[in-house]
Amino acid sequence: MLISSLNMKLMKNRTIFYLMSFMLISNLIGGQELLDILEKEQKDTLMFTEATFKYSRITFGQSVQTRKNGTLDVKMSNRFWNTPAERSQSFFVDRINTRFALEYGLSDRLLIGAGLSTFDERFDGFLKYKLLKQGLKGNGSPVTISLFQNLSYFDDMLPYSSPGTMASSRFSFTSQILIAKKITSDFSLQVSPTFIHRGLVFNENDPQNHFSIGFAGRYKLGGHVSFVSEYYYVANPIESFDTYGPFSIGINWEVSDTMLQFMLTNAVSMVEDAFITQTRNNFNFKNPNLNVGFNFVYTFHLKNRLKR
Amino acid sequence: MYKFIFVIIIAFLSGQRTSEKIIARQGNVSFFSYTPVENIKAENNQVLSIVDLENNKIAVSILMNAFVFEKALMREHFNESYIESDIYPKATFAGEIIGFDPNIEGIQTKMVKGNFSMHGSDKELEIKVKIEKQNCVFTISGSFEAEVEDYDIKIPPLLRGNIAKIINVDFKFEYEAYEE
Repeated sequence: MLISSLNMKLMKNRTIFYLMSFMLISNLIGGQELLDILEKEQKDTLMFTEATFKYSRITFGQSVQTRKNGTLDVKMSNRFWNTPAERSQSFFVDRINTRFALEYGLSDRLLIGAGLSTFDERFDGFLKYKLLKQGLKGNGSPVTISLFQNLSYFDDMLPYSSPGTMASSRFSFTSQILIAKKITSDFSLQVSPTFIHRGLVFNENDPQNHFSIGFAGRYKLGGHVSFVSEYYYVANPIESFDTYGPFSIGINWEVSDTMLQFMLTNAVSMVEDAFITQTRNNFNFKNPNLNVGFNFVYTFHLKNRLKR
Repeated sequence: MYKFIFVIIIAFLSGQRTSEKIIARQGNVSFFSYTPVENIKAENNQVLSIVDLENNKIAVSILMNAFVFEKALMREHFNESYIESDIYPKATFAGEIIGFDPNIEGIQTKMVKGNFSMHGSDKELEIKVKIEKQNCVFTISGSFEAEVEDYDIKIPPLLRGNIAKIINVDFKFEYEAYEE
């Protein structure tokens, strides 16, 4: 009798002990439990990757990026190079090509822009539309896809006998499908199948339509600096003179509203149809092959997103 | 023996009881950085917060890329270069409202103590909050200051003048009953 009552008392104490310890544990893990509930609440919102590339151009070529609605980019791109002459009396460098451009984000997906180049006298205008956004953490689309269409007008003086005397034949068109993947937060790759229709063809053997494919990558060296490189391969190049695929290595540096892009390249032009099909020198460090490029972009925000 | 069964039943009931929780799904968190060079302001209206009225525990989860800035580029820089929201998508807070009595109608001012985690860094915070109860609707609001240095956020020397060392953070959550 005594033993049994003692046993019971012990069991009761044990139950109370379990009860107490259960309450204590539930009290301790309470915070984490609440965060887990919030985690469940948040799950159904699909998120997209941002900034696969830092700017709408990588070095000379287009990136998959468009700009946000109400963003105006004022842009000056320069290419500097020297002629092979041993002695020259030019100040600073022998040749400069500058392209002035304005680019405006009509919506978060649609970018419109126009520019003019000084050296090769081309006017160009383009539209770029972001079709598909890459999802985060394997959800949604695995890649970002943008469509690009440009139109350029070659305005340089030509000899009287050349076929380019008619204005309509001076227009060239470039269409691109830009496909990019942000593989890690630092590393992105892009493949860009390209179709080019050239307006002016000076030799009968030269094709008027070109197929090309571009490859580009960027690696983030820090929060504000990234290393970039680009190359375009042309499947059916111009026959009447030698051309080479444009190549570049460069650094993108972003300081607040300013974007600075430095590069070494063999491409003189900054208009798609010209630099993809008509880059006349291969990439090396001799004059006039080596171009030092410098793009300066200042971004104005014409829309305050906090005002509703 | 009856006592024993009674204790078992009590223990069972206390373990099973559904705790009363309230949740805020569209909580507001905004922060400000004032410097002579530029003022930066950002708002997030999709912050989640939950309070367990049984034990006064509170948790907050802030999605970093849901902050809206005046300029689109500021948002990109915030996510890409400073807070690195690819790697650290959320800031969370888990803590306790000390001495909080959910039965009191009207306004009460209490301290909240807990752990704030952002950009991979943890910090113990004590924040004074205003809790308002009107017709069973709870509102919690308050503000605190966060030092950029505490959260391992790197600012390049060139931009050090643009971002304040101490960021003011305001928050306001309106709660509704939570059903599991």
